[in-house]
Amino acid sequence: MSTLRLAWRDGRTAAVEDPEGTVLDAAEAAGLALPFGCRTGACGTCTGRVLAGEVSHDRRPRALKRRHLDDGYVLLCIATPDGDCAVEVGAEVKRDLLANPFR
Amino acid sequence: MATDHSHDHERTDHAHHDHSGPGYMTPQAAVENAPRERLAYVMGNHVGIDETAPDFLAVVDVDPDSDSYCQLVDRVDLPNVGDELHHFGWNACSSSCHIGGLERRYLVVPGNRSSRLHIVDTEDREHPEIAKVIEPEAVHEYDLSAPHTVHCIGGGTVVISMLGDADGDLPGGFLELDDELNVKGRWDPAGEIDFNYDFWYQPRHDAMVSSEWAAPKTYQPGFDIEDVEAGNYGHELQFWSWEDRKVEQTVDLGEEGLIPLEVRFLHTPEHAHGFVDAALSSNIFHFWKRDGEWHTEKVIDFESRELEGWDMPVPALPTDILVSMDDRYLYGGNWLHGELWMYDISDPANPRHADSLSVGGYFGDVQELQGRDIVGGPQMLQLSLDGERLYWTTSLYSTWDDQFFPEEAEKGSVMLKADVDPRRGTMTLDEEFLVDFGDLPDGPARAHEMRWPDGDCTSDVWE
Ligand code: FES
Repeated sequence: MSTLRLAWRDGRTAAVEDPEGTVLDAAEAAGLALPFGCRTGACGTCTGRVLAGEVSHDRRPRALKRRHLDDGYVLLCIATPDGDCAVEVGAEVKRDLLANPFR
Repeated sequence: MATDHSHDHERTDHAHHDHSGPGYMTPQAAVENAPRERLAYVMGNHVGIDETAPDFLAVVDVDPDSDSYCQLVDRVDLPNVGDELHHFGWNACSSSCHIGGLERRYLVVPGNRSSRLHIVDTEDREHPEIAKVIEPEAVHEYDLSAPHTVHCIGGGTVVISMLGDADGDLPGGFLELDDELNVKGRWDPAGEIDFNYDFWYQPRHDAMVSSEWAAPKTYQPGFDIEDVEAGNYGHELQFWSWEDRKVEQTVDLGEEGLIPLEVRFLHTPEHAHGFVDAALSSNIFHFWKRDGEWHTEKVIDFESRELEGWDMPVPALPTDILVSMDDRYLYGGNWLHGELWMYDISDPANPRHADSLSVGGYFGDVQELQGRDIVGGPQMLQLSLDGERLYWTTSLYSTWDDQFFPEEAEKGSVMLKADVDPRRGTMTLDEEFLVDFGDLPDGPARAHEMRWPDGDCTSDVWE
């Protein structure tokens, strides 16, 4: 028995009980829309951030750099929850990854 | 779906005025005989803005005599979300103009993020419909992903440049669709190239040129200067034998040629001259063939500009270029600076600046039109076949927009137009023309590449 909690930056939250598969799969099965693109871990569209608990990547998260992984960012299309966890989700999260380099 | 024309594949002689297929016999015939564009097909994107809205093909009314001028008169919503529509192309272009039974009817509309290919039937030009969808698995099967440029290659088959392998890593390659627009397989023998982006071919010279962006895993999350230092962005051009499907020559453009994007041959099939924009180095290169060898030379160089309070000078980032159908002018847009430019390329080795418009971007003089903020600079371009109207959109790629023009996510992008006087070599911003992709029923969208129903300056090739 485990719970996956999702939190959007606009304050919305949702919980999925006994999630199956990746965070993206589990959210979709519960009728919750999360952003995604490639579904293979290459594009970063699905980027989320772990707020509590643990998730593990099923394959190499190619779209994230070491520094992003160290900061808790995860690719929800290839990340599976390890027990209870909470993840920040939504299109805004991936905007943290890379800033304007000229600024 | 496509009509059976397998019995009809023989090409007739070019001197012969047998014109039974799609397109125009010559570029000059396209200039003289093409009707004025009344509709534009435009890629519309919700990726990065709305998680539940699919991307769409917009049908935009560009007929000034119409009541719905500058409006989206129809849209084809895709069956999935998250595709990120980018570039697209026709099943047939002027390279097939000797092939009876073939029509310029199907648009191949790839999702750059998803690797999904949509085939759109435009038999009813105003109300196109999805004819079929090729799912990503069918593309990944050939160890390819991230489709980009779509070209009809003559005779009803289509080739698509693919930027990555099935994992979103290097190498990229080319995918071929058959004349029923099903996946036929890889066009190139695997291992010819690493990076890929745009391509253009010139059959009379047995030539194809392809350019280099980066692996999907590098450019899709956004632009990271560390990737430039790590060599994760391309700086080479590949010159292919079109017949043998092999790279014959690689030219390294070096520091001055970082991220060579759009490649445009002159349209006249006799000419072996073209141009490429090195976006990150803010340069335009001329390439040409002489004595069996390809040569390149930097012919235009845009200076970086200081912006008060910013750490680094801002490069111009010329992301798109196009050559007018009469091969007289080269057009381009400096996306970050906000500049649209035209050069006279009567002598392709010595482009002569003809005119510029300062609009959008960080430095543009015109930042607002009809009370609407423009935000991004000129990005994808399309020119009328007669060379008198130049149109452009302002979005580059969702994740890059978010870094450089974050407001575009809230406001959406716009499609704008300039009137061109090809005799004088001047452009004038048409202040009456504005298509607002920020003001749509299901929220703001980004607009990207544009095509006309009857061929255009960035899709037509002559054999
Ligand atoms: S959807 Fe592309 S990395 Fe997850």
